[in-house]
Amino acid sequence: MKNKLIPLIIILFIAFNCERDDICAEATATTPHLIIRFYDVNDTDEPKTVRQLTVTGQGVDDEIVSSTTTDSILLPLRFQNEGETISTFFELKKDTDYDTNGNDSNASNTDVIEVSYTPEFIYVSRACGYKSIFAGTEIDVIEADDDDVWIINALTVNTTIEDEKAAHINIYH
Amino acid sequence: MLCSITSFSQNTSEQEDSKTSNDTLVFKQKYGLRLGIDLSKPVRSFLDDDYTGFEINADYRLTKRLYLAGELGTEENNLVTDYLDVTSKGSYFKAGVDYNMYLNWLDMENMIYGGLRAGVSTFSQTLNNYTIYNPDQYWNEPFSPSDTKEFDGLSAIWAELIIGIKAETLNNLYVGLNLQLKGLVSENAPSDFENLYIPGFNRTYDSGRFGIGFGYNISYLIPIYKKDKKVAKED
Repeated sequence: MKNKLIPLIIILFIAFNCERDDICAEATATTPHLIIRFYDVNDTDEPKTVRQLTVTGQGVDDEIVSSTTTDSILLPLRFQNEGETISTFFELKKDTDYDTNGNDSNASNTDVIEVSYTPEFIYVSRACGYKSIFAGTEIDVIEADDDDVWIINALTVNTTIEDEKAAHINIYH
Repeated sequence: MLCSITSFSQNTSEQEDSKTSNDTLVFKQKYGLRLGIDLSKPVRSFLDDDYTGFEINADYRLTKRLYLAGELGTEENNLVTDYLDVTSKGSYFKAGVDYNMYLNWLDMENMIYGGLRAGVSTFSQTLNNYTIYNPDQYWNEPFSPSDTKEFDGLSAIWAELIIGIKAETLNNLYVGLNLQLKGLVSENAPSDFENLYIPGFNRTYDSGRFGIGFGYNISYLIPIYKKDKKVAKED
């Protein structure tokens, strides 16, 4: 009897020690990014890339997107207390390379957008704890002090940011 | 050899009867209530700052092999990860049977047993502290809300399979080890949270309804009556 019990005990311990649910897996949907897609203002169903786009969060030196020609971006949202509406400002600069090409006839163009939303905390799992999703998302293009705005229009297509499966905001340019 | 015994018994059936009484040893077996504690819990309480627990257990011998058994305990466990700090606190009760699979020699009364239990626990969980999981720390603003959340009136029911040993080390004093495999039958969990640790069931797993536990028991038998155990004497 003893001979049968010992391997059984060992097998049980191995089986339970293999559990890896104490590490938050990368594939788990946690706090999402804001997804913005760029469309052609003349043909609003047609995605249109932005040439040499650089995105930074206002007040931060690091770039979120660096001189990339793309038709969509993922932006990290800052947040504090649950239920308190908060805004994040992003600087979107297109034609970044014009700053350094030494040609005076062309220049980069920076527009500032303000995204406001209300964080809501949701329990995920033992390993990941809580995530934040964002409700009531709104976008505003700051046009004051900017006489050359390249973002013609911006629309919130998904007011609740809870995953990264589809765009939340469309920008037309 | 079997044939020879059969033929032998057929021929001398009268002789066989007298032989039985001569060659059978009779041992007095103690029946009674065994009371004990799970030593691993006070030891862990002493060593582990995040744990406090105590369990008393008892069994009552019904037949030669069958025991009525139960445990009553209380536990407080603090789970601390990078993103959560949760205290579970409550008490539990388990009841069931143990079946001794071990054929004892002579007058020994040790056990290698398998057991079944139904367990029930009532408890609370307190979220002392938490940090919102945000893998993109571009803004460098990890946020930990200052509120604590309390989830009261939680409960769970589970079934348990036990294997273990109990050995009599001194007269009527037993030490034992056991391993418990648990299956959650039902639980009352908060709607916006989950039961991370259930007193008596131990920690839960994301991947299923199973749990595991072990015990290191020391117990004392209070003999109530004795019963004969007949053992055929071997030549």
